[in-house]
Amino acid sequence: MELSLDRLTKHYKSKIAVDCISTTMVPGVYGLLGANGAGKTTLMRMICGILEPTSGDILYNGNSIFEMGSAYRNLLGYLPQEFGYYPNYTAQEFLLYIAALKGIPRRIAVKRSRSLLETVSLINMANKKIKTFSGGMKQRLGIAQALLNNPKILVLDEPTAGLDPKERVRLRNILSDLANDKIVLLSTHIVSDIEAIADKVFLMKKGTFILQGSINELIAYAQGKVWEFTIQEQDLKKWELNYTVANLHHSDKGYVTLRVVSDKCPSLEATPCEATLEDLYLLYFPTEDGGRV
Amino acid sequence: MELLKLEHKKLWRRKSVQIGVLLCFLYIVIFGGLLSYQWFQFGSPNDFTSSFGNNFDGYTNIREKQEYAKQWEGALTEETLQAMVKEYQERVQTGNVSDYEMTDWVSLNSMIQTLWPELEETDNPYIMLNYVDPSELTDFEVRRENAVKSFLELNGQTGSEREYFLNMDANIDMPLQYRWTEGWSFVTADYISGCGVVFAIFIAIAIAPVFCGEWHNNTRSLITTTKYGWNKIAVTKVLVSFLFTLELYTIIIFSSILLQIIFLGTEGADMPIQCIKILAVAPWTVLQAEIYEYGYLLLASFGYTGIVLLCSALAKTNYVSIIISLAIVFVPMAILQFFPLWGQKALDLIPFVGSSTDIFRTNTYHLFGYTIWSPYLLITVPIILGLICLPFAVRSWARRAKI
Repeated sequence: MELSLDRLTKHYKSKIAVDCISTTMVPGVYGLLGANGAGKTTLMRMICGILEPTSGDILYNGNSIFEMGSAYRNLLGYLPQEFGYYPNYTAQEFLLYIAALKGIPRRIAVKRSRSLLETVSLINMANKKIKTFSGGMKQRLGIAQALLNNPKILVLDEPTAGLDPKERVRLRNILSDLANDKIVLLSTHIVSDIEAIADKVFLMKKGTFILQGSINELIAYAQGKVWEFTIQEQDLKKWELNYTVANLHHSDKGYVTLRVVSDKCPSLEATPCEATLEDLYLLYFPTEDGGRV
Repeated sequence: MELLKLEHKKLWRRKSVQIGVLLCFLYIVIFGGLLSYQWFQFGSPNDFTSSFGNNFDGYTNIREKQEYAKQWEGALTEETLQAMVKEYQERVQTGNVSDYEMTDWVSLNSMIQTLWPELEETDNPYIMLNYVDPSELTDFEVRRENAVKSFLELNGQTGSEREYFLNMDANIDMPLQYRWTEGWSFVTADYISGCGVVFAIFIAIAIAPVFCGEWHNNTRSLITTTKYGWNKIAVTKVLVSFLFTLELYTIIIFSSILLQIIFLGTEGADMPIQCIKILAVAPWTVLQAEIYEYGYLLLASFGYTGIVLLCSALAKTNYVSIIISLAIVFVPMAILQFFPLWGQKALDLIPFVGSSTDIFRTNTYHLFGYTIWSPYLLITVPIILGLICLPFAVRSWARRAKI
């Protein structure tokens, strides 16, 4: 099973949201990293068949997904970034409704929805109306609905948003288990989530993959560009203005230990240290809009 | 089937639908039906300043009126008419309101006013029934025949159109068979036709969010990626909307009919509609008229449902959808009087804008060289309009669902 993106491009009038992306995915977990507006959601929507590309194609086992229609949708599980729900439905009813839309017979849908509610720790809330749920509970319900049809391709747009650390770990474990026979594509701002489970990471900027590879391959790009050193507290502002500070730690005697991501050695006292995926992210997206400092 | 069941449940779970159906029931069945029968329509008069001053004794009052009317039941000849008028005048002399209230004075007065207009004293403050000499009320059937002809002439209905109605009129069994009219008159001339606008409001509240509500709930991308996607759900939504309309109709109309049977009974169902409106030309009984009117209400409701679904598919918010849906009925109603006759007739074909009481009238439409009596078009065109809207609703929603 493979899903290929073939020179996939999407324009919104003069704005290029996705720019000639090509890659192939086989079963495993794929992380999509990028700043806001990088084109992650547009790419995911095209993979889900919601958006038609301006040019290029998406092929599932060699067949265009736009020609496969419902046969492709039958293989798909999707959690949108803004997960919509019906507030007056109970969790169980909502899953049965989505199951009906996915063409799952009721008898199977009832069993499957109960088992998924258990998986996402919502079994005790099965008969409660969704409008009474917290943000995290709604998100877990969204994950459950995406898994209803046991999809071959699972696309999750910010699945860990709103989840507490325990829930995030639980979800990561579920996704890891699922990835044996599925293509799981997830986007998140929480780099540690991707670091924990992704087999391959796409670093996306201005509509294109600027880097792609395994975690270690990507981290290698940041090796030798992460530095640690100590400065006086009064100089902190100056350093923050001129460098991407990945971390800082205040000591008792008016000193601050900085972890800085920089192509060049920022100070004579700086010593290189082991890079992480977060450092790589900061190296490429030092500001919120994805620009460089 | 499962999807239909769940979509149906989704519609009924909305607070606005539950409250809407409850209000509709309270207004039509409880206020317009139960309280009308028992209190302000059929309760014996007490305070003449308002119907709400009536006694709360409609049920027994109706029984007494029906009992009183029994003595006149049968062929409505000039002798019977004269006797009824005489009896009314004698009862008025007693000065006891409950005495003359027993009589069918509203329809009696309307009848003699229409058939013997020359006897009306324009400067007399009392109703004609009070002062007319019963012995002058002669040639009832001839008078009626002439009045129908004059009425058609006055309307400018000549030639084939005139013949059409006169032929229709010729099928009425004469002499007319009189029964107590007040109850049937309330049902066929007021109650059922009044249900239409109320139905329009609550159908709009329930159905208008059916499609655009998905935007509101932000579920479109979720639905798009499911196996059946938009098209199947669109068809389900249409079916559920029609099912809801049928359910609303059934709840309201069956309750109304039940109240009608409890309060008015079934007696007099074979009475010709001419006893209610003397110049009506349709050879129908009041039961047939009631069936037509309920049929009109059902088909207009279905037609309106189709139109509301189109509004829902085109609009992006629930409020816009509801406002446009209501405007489709209430704006034409408000501006109808400013239109020429042909415009009024055209607007009447919009569901609930026209009236099912056209069965008492001689309005016509001229289509492709044919003269068509208005009730035939009024009952068919609204449902056709609604059905025409459906494919556009489904297509426009499915098209807009693409992000």
